[in-house]
Amino acid sequence: MFRFSSLRGRLTVLYAGLFGVALLATAVAVTLSVGGNARHQVEKELAAGGAVFDRLWAMKASQLADGARVLSRDFGFREAFASGDAPTVESALTNLKDRLSLDRAFIVGADGTLTGAPDIGQAAASDLWSALDGGAQSGVLRIGDTPYQAVAEPILAPQLVGWVVFAEKLDRQEMASLEGLASIPLSAAVLTRQTGRPWRSTDAGKAADPRLSKFADIKTSGPRPLQTDRGEAVALARPLAVMGDNADAVLVLRYPLDLAMAPYRSLLVTLVFVGLLGLALLVAGSWLLARSITRPISALDEAARRLRDGEDAHVAVETGDEIGRLADSFNAMASGIRERENRIITLALTDQETALPNRRALEAAIAEADPEGLYIAAIGVDRFPQVRAAVGYRLAGEMLRQLALRMGELRPGDLAARLSSERLALMFRAANPAEALRQLEALVEALSRPVQVDGQTIDVGLNAGLAAVADSHAAAPAERASIALDQARIGHKPALAFDAESYGDPASKLSLMSEMLAALANGEISMAYQPKHDTRAGVTTGVEALVRWNHPTRGFVSPDMFVGLAEETGHIRALTVWTLDQALRDQAALRLAGHDLTVSVNLSGRMLAEPEFATRAIDMIAVAGGRICLEITETAVIDHPETAHDIIDRFRAAGIKISIDDYGSGLSSLAYLKQIRADELKIDKEFILTLDRSARDALLVKSTVDLAHSLGLQIVAEGVETAESLAILTAMGCDLAQGYFIARPMPLTGVVAFLDEARALTAPALAKARKA
Amino acid sequence: MRPLLLFLLVVLTPTWAWAGDLVVTVRDAAGQPVQNAVVTVYPAGGAPKGPIRFAWPLTVAQQNIQFDPFVLVAPVGAAVSFPNRDKVQHHVYSFSAGNRFELKLFGRDESRSVTFKAVGVAAIGCNIHDQMVGYVKVVDTPFAIKTGADGVATLRGLPAGQATIRVWHPWLRAPKNEASMAFALPAAGVARPAIAVEIRRPAGGHMH
Repeated sequence: MFRFSSLRGRLTVLYAGLFGVALLATAVAVTLSVGGNARHQVEKELAAGGAVFDRLWAMKASQLADGARVLSRDFGFREAFASGDAPTVESALTNLKDRLSLDRAFIVGADGTLTGAPDIGQAAASDLWSALDGGAQSGVLRIGDTPYQAVAEPILAPQLVGWVVFAEKLDRQEMASLEGLASIPLSAAVLTRQTGRPWRSTDAGKAADPRLSKFADIKTSGPRPLQTDRGEAVALARPLAVMGDNADAVLVLRYPLDLAMAPYRSLLVTLVFVGLLGLALLVAGSWLLARSITRPISALDEAARRLRDGEDAHVAVETGDEIGRLADSFNAMASGIRERENRIITLALTDQETALPNRRALEAAIAEADPEGLYIAAIGVDRFPQVRAAVGYRLAGEMLRQLALRMGELRPGDLAARLSSERLALMFRAANPAEALRQLEALVEALSRPVQVDGQTIDVGLNAGLAAVADSHAAAPAERASIALDQARIGHKPALAFDAESYGDPASKLSLMSEMLAALANGEISMAYQPKHDTRAGVTTGVEALVRWNHPTRGFVSPDMFVGLAEETGHIRALTVWTLDQALRDQAALRLAGHDLTVSVNLSGRMLAEPEFATRAIDMIAVAGGRICLEITETAVIDHPETAHDIIDRFRAAGIKISIDDYGSGLSSLAYLKQIRADELKIDKEFILTLDRSARDALLVKSTVDLAHSLGLQIVAEGVETAESLAILTAMGCDLAQGYFIARPMPLTGVVAFLDEARALTAPALAKARKA
Repeated sequence: MRPLLLFLLVVLTPTWAWAGDLVVTVRDAAGQPVQNAVVTVYPAGGAPKGPIRFAWPLTVAQQNIQFDPFVLVAPVGAAVSFPNRDKVQHHVYSFSAGNRFELKLFGRDESRSVTFKAVGVAAIGCNIHDQMVGYVKVVDTPFAIKTGADGVATLRGLPAGQATIRVWHPWLRAPKNEASMAFALPAAGVARPAIAVEIRRPAGGHMH
């Protein structure tokens, strides 16, 4: 189905189409009716014409018969004929023929002899005689190929002695005179034929048109359609009496339909003209009407498009009808939408608490401003959560608002915004980064005065971060300023500019993690083992499993980096499972090589929050029959102490040793020792590295060793790099030592070789060899 | 007096002693008796010589605008009288070969006579009244008679032996309106041949 793109086109085509169909139907009906009428009229006239022709025919026959009778009754003629006076008879025939303007006049004797017709042959004469003898009185008579209308009158002398035959030629002229007597323009023709021969027509005196012959063959008296050279006609065939047994004659009357239709033609032409004019008027009218209807709709359509695009969408109301009311409603709707939109935009861009522009508004302002010489400062309130907890949310918000007001007073031309709950931002311009930082420092200093809120005085400590909008960095300027603020806090500076290097690249960190997962599968990450030396027995009793990542493009990736990242991003679990699995396999391999050692595996404090992991690790160790020590790195705060307790208890119940790693650095505290019921304590290498030089470190180590021993823990020293350190530690009673002096971390094969060599020597010999 | 004459004639004929009778019945194709058919017999040995006399008057009257009788059998050379018994005048004529005559407009109770010299048929008409048609059958044999309403013609005293019997009627469908047959006449007794002929009344014909 054809689809209209405009209502106007559809209305126009619909109306014009409907009218066109109605017009066509009318035209067809009128044409059919007129045609039917004309045909009916023609048929009636033709029937009437046929009746007239019958009368004319009979009249003509009667006239001929009258003449013939005059002759046949004439006494003298009869006497002459009866007495065989041929010359007299012939002269009488000629005389009467001339007087009556007859074509033929002759006598057929009762004995079959002909008088006055020398051109009629014997067979034709005999045929004629038998017709006359049979009582024929009038009809069509063929002499040669020429048809005649003939009458016969008997000659009674007083008995029948013959017949006088008068005949008039049926030629075109005769037909024309017949046609002239009709009230309608008929064309008449007499068709004759000998039995078994084709029809011949008086029209041309020759063989009749085949269609006409076929028409004459059908013996029906009513009018019938007939195809002629001049188009369709209605025709009538009336059989005529024939003199003679072996012939047929038919009078055919034709009435061409185009002649009959002629009077109606002008009517049809007028009808078509009026119809076309009406159609044109209707198309124009429909178009105008449709336009008047659709113009306001188009205006509405256009306004709706403008509304969609956020432009002014007011429509002029021109009428009071439905469309006018629709336009009215549309205007109301458009202004309503505009109002709400403005409110939403305002809400979206404003911080409700301080009435300052929010971060989104700031970012929009940054996007619109010229980046050259433009700087964003993030100003944060120190310990804001604590302040907020102390004074309440409302006053904390009020405090920020006060700060913002103050900032507005100090920097009247610059845009102040609220960046986050505890951070404000300022967009300002400066000649260069140093100048910007100086201005910012001055601002922070000026701002850092106590704030009066509801009669209370709140001290505020402020830090600020600075980011140049023109600098290209993945992070947005406001984000960079915020990071710079964090950096300033860490660095205990009032203000710092954003340092991209110290921030690093979060995106590359994330990609490093996905690479790490791939590396676990493809063998880029491997295990290295560092022996743990029993200071009293002088033998290696364990190894610490350490992960190593040899990245194909980055090269050696520091475990501090990717392990730390894995902890932050939650990938530590996969790494730990892998490490444990690998350590168990390698332990089995070592056992096969004849070395039964405890393998220490580092376990992130985060893993102590996952009971599922504990279950799995216990299963793995149990299945492998491993002897494992889990060194709990305290890089993360233990968030759920009870869960951690349970897990540690389960590990210990499963025969797994627990070691506290890196004791003495970071967050480790006595509380930590209390929390984790460990079997072993590893002193951070910071203390061991300088053991041989610092008496203070030696004291700390000594007291830690004593503390551990008194708590029933074994103590391990890491970072043993010199013989002196080992000697000191041994003297202090340290149970195990680990470090480059004893052995570097090495692959499994290296460990086996190392252990094999050590077994061959005695422990003192080893010590001597190292010293040498 | 005429029956007496006929009687005498028959009695005095020398062949009487060895002669038989002939009763001819003429019927049309439908088996209906044909009236006014003239039966003539021609014995192989020839007809008797001498003047021929018939038992009926040789008269054709015009009565009720008709000829009466319709058919008259007359011997050749006999004079036939044509008395007018109508109140109107008649113009009696015949164009028949050998017997042409014309009796112009003779009035009531006038009588003319015509002598028929040729053997054959004289068709007679009236020039005033077309419907008036009559026939005089002129014969040259004494053995001639026309059938009655029963279609029967009786001839007596015919000589035995072969003979030709002819039947004529104005409407008989045959050349010269005559049919003929050979017939062996018996020496004595009665022969009763029946003859069937084809009769066609002329269109708008006479009531005879």
